[in-house]
Amino acid sequence: MTWTDSQSWASSLMGPTPLAVSIAILLVLTIPLFLHLLIYRSTTSTTLPSFLLVGPSGAGKTALLTLFERGQHAETRTSQVPLSVEVSLPVSTKAVSSKYRSVNDPSNQAHKKFLLADTPGHGKLRHHAFDSVIKPQNLKGIIFMVDAADMSMGTSGAGNEPLHQAAEYLHDILLLLQKRSTRSKTSKAPRELPVLIAANKLDLFTALPPPLVKTALESEISNVRSSRATGLLDSGIGMNDLDIGEEKEWLGNGGDGKFEFSQMDEVNIAVSVAGGNVLGADESDVKQWWDWIAGNL
Amino acid sequence: MLDGFEILTTSGVVLWSKSYAPVSSSVIDSFIRDVFIEEKVLPGASVADDTSATQNPSYKRDQYTLKWASVKDMGLIFVAVYQSLLHLSWIDKLLDNIRIIFVDLYKDQLRKPHTSVVECDFDGYFDQQIRELESAAEKNPTRIAQPLLAELTPPSSSESGHEGPPPPLPGLAPGYLKKQQINGDSTDASPIPTPDTSRPSTPAAHILAGKSGPKGGSRRARKAVTNPANVSSGDERKAKPKKETGKKMRRWDADGLADEEDGAVLDYSAQSPQENGAAKSEYISGVDSIDSQSFGTRTTKGQFVLKDLDSEVHSILEGANEKKAQSSSSKSGLVGSSLGAISGLFRNVVGGNVLTKEDLVKPIRAIEEHLLNKNVAREAAVRLCEGVERELIGVKTASFESVETTIRSAMESSLRRILTPTTSLDILRSISSVTSPSQLNPLSPQPRPYVISIVGVNGVGKSTNLSKLAFFLLQNRFNLLIAACDTFRSGAVEQLRVHARNLKELAEREKLGKVELYEKGYGKDAANIAKDAVAYAAQQHFDVVLIDTAGRRHNDTRLMSNLEKFGNFANPDKILMVGEALVGSDSVGQARSFNAAFGSKRRLDGFIISKCDTVGDMVGTLVSMVHATGIPVVFLGVGQHYGDLRTLNVSWAVDMLMT
Repeated sequence: MTWTDSQSWASSLMGPTPLAVSIAILLVLTIPLFLHLLIYRSTTSTTLPSFLLVGPSGAGKTALLTLFERGQHAETRTSQVPLSVEVSLPVSTKAVSSKYRSVNDPSNQAHKKFLLADTPGHGKLRHHAFDSVIKPQNLKGIIFMVDAADMSMGTSGAGNEPLHQAAEYLHDILLLLQKRSTRSKTSKAPRELPVLIAANKLDLFTALPPPLVKTALESEISNVRSSRATGLLDSGIGMNDLDIGEEKEWLGNGGDGKFEFSQMDEVNIAVSVAGGNVLGADESDVKQWWDWIAGNL
Repeated sequence: MLDGFEILTTSGVVLWSKSYAPVSSSVIDSFIRDVFIEEKVLPGASVADDTSATQNPSYKRDQYTLKWASVKDMGLIFVAVYQSLLHLSWIDKLLDNIRIIFVDLYKDQLRKPHTSVVECDFDGYFDQQIRELESAAEKNPTRIAQPLLAELTPPSSSESGHEGPPPPLPGLAPGYLKKQQINGDSTDASPIPTPDTSRPSTPAAHILAGKSGPKGGSRRARKAVTNPANVSSGDERKAKPKKETGKKMRRWDADGLADEEDGAVLDYSAQSPQENGAAKSEYISGVDSIDSQSFGTRTTKGQFVLKDLDSEVHSILEGANEKKAQSSSSKSGLVGSSLGAISGLFRNVVGGNVLTKEDLVKPIRAIEEHLLNKNVAREAAVRLCEGVERELIGVKTASFESVETTIRSAMESSLRRILTPTTSLDILRSISSVTSPSQLNPLSPQPRPYVISIVGVNGVGKSTNLSKLAFFLLQNRFNLLIAACDTFRSGAVEQLRVHARNLKELAEREKLGKVELYEKGYGKDAANIAKDAVAYAAQQHFDVVLIDTAGRRHNDTRLMSNLEKFGNFANPDKILMVGEALVGSDSVGQARSFNAAFGSKRRLDGFIISKCDTVGDMVGTLVSMVHATGIPVVFLGVGQHYGDLRTLNVSWAVDMLMT
């Protein structure tokens, strides 16, 4: 079989046979369609932006989650597993990404949705939260909930166990976030990741106002940092020969002096504090938290 | 009488709850913490598909007793709360039935991702179950193990509780039922034995169900006269009554139930005739029993409004039993088994395999062997493996994941959970909070020395670890007093004296804190010396008192009994037990006896595991000791020098154990 043979398949394919023509037309018509589908399918299947809820047990994380999802809070108990739900912004708040959209834009609805991931706050189950901080999927921000009513006045020094627990947890989370930027291989700074410290239960009489929550946490984190600095080494270090070169890392400005949340700006972590209450005698007040979420969506 | 019943998810959302008396939410919170997270109360030894209530030990808190059942793959927990004084024999049955009904009704909603909402209108079903089980318990007390007298008490107490404001009590049921009994042999009771007898998941369930069928029929014989079409049983007639019951349910739903539910329920009842069509001759008897039931409820419909709900509930329960029976009987065929084996092999590679006990036996055995090789005590290894097995049965493996990797990751996470401490172990902070309490708060206590005492078996390195700890505290500029309370072994005081001298020299050279030895020679009572030492330290403004004690064998009751007095006299803030990493199975016994030795009020606060450098990666002792007591590991001794003390890094330990 040669090229000159008029009966060979190659020459018949080149010839103006109806079959060849129809195949050509089919290809011409379908390729653009196929490409269109391919490109647009891949963009629409991206995951929703997500926010992570962390904080010590009993701060009100799951209650906030149900409140955001349903508009009213449900009864909750101690969580054991993480849970993520799809939440859309309320009508009154508008996401910052849709600032320039028309009110009548039909895609507004889609841009108001996000995933809210709840994590258990019990001491033994915090690895869930740490895992999702290390491997984020389109993570837009972290909400750290604290029980403002539990950090009683005047004892911001030693002996305030709930405050210490919260500060230690927050310290660990911030340290992980800092490592994310200092350990990265590229010189490019990682994307900015905002952290909201949500002071919950402000309706209670004993609750500290948000600015005081901030200073209490800052001073307690300084304590945690200094006691970590003088503490013993981890068993992991020095016992395997692999990571002997790795040094311990300190949060903030090299780990001395007083810790302030503004020190985290250096590694692209913006920490803000806002108050509110999920439950309450009158009704819940979560407006500030919605605004924060909308501002980062 | 029941105080409350809750259906909640493992993620912490309460899906449905009913309370007859106010129960503080902290009761259930602490129940979750102790049973599921910290595993202080170990579940029963037997392993079931979904843990049913009978196998779970009850949990007691305050004056309440909690019974529970769970569905793992959906993450549901069913909890019943009642006063400990009462003896409710039907609670287990209630939990199991509610579990089956709830899962069946709302399984579609429960499987939905990214939502915590389950719209359920469950009150009717729950009340029906309570009424039914209560009446069953009242009618035939012989079936329940309790004596008659004890059986009579719950209704009376229920009557007293029933005066309270909360929603209509199930306590109403007895009176309501008595009226029925007077009227004649009520049909109410017959449905209950039926699910009960067909409960066992053996193939024999068909025969049992078959037996119960005719019995129910005979009882209803006089009513059946009115409707002769249903008396004769046959294959063609079967479809007809089915349809009629279906219609009836729909009518009832129009009254109050959500529309989507009736679809699921109807679907369910329609399913059973299909299955029967496939294997006619085998299941005829089972079908007959359903038929006669739906027929019975229909005739009594004029009398009881809630009868429809009954029939719906019973068909769900029946269906669950039948499914169970079928799944157990379907395995017997030769062709079926070989096909199953092939598809099982395939699924093992691809994933998506629903794990059964048989799948798990071999890999679990392998991992148990692995743990034993890592020097985990046998008892701890067995219990860990049982825990993992319980966790995994009924779980679907992820795609492209074999059974082995699934078990491995489950074991890793359970090891991690065990080793992670519940509270912060920052010893420096707790010392400074005692020695220099905050000045701002007028209520804070006076500064006093912080007392740490160290106990352990002979020769594990108590004195060595004490001096390592002393060195660490000196570096943090604390003033130490070392109390030599080993008044028994010759040379013990001299050994500490050498340590104290070395540390003093080190401290002076590097301008650290000061250290002193408090000794009173040999032969005296250790508890008294410890007490004197603490008093002396308070007088001389020392920050920390470290008390060394004599080594004692944990099975020597005479020596161990001294510890209680010692604990009372010295009143240490922290009692640390030193255990060596070299010890094997004995570690469990050591940890338990030392933990129990300080009386009922005092426990150990932590372990120091010494000689970790000598065992390489066989650090199983860590797990054995923590697993036996739930007390965290505070320090590890990793060498001969004063600086060789480390805190535990959990992921390092888990890595060591799993490689």
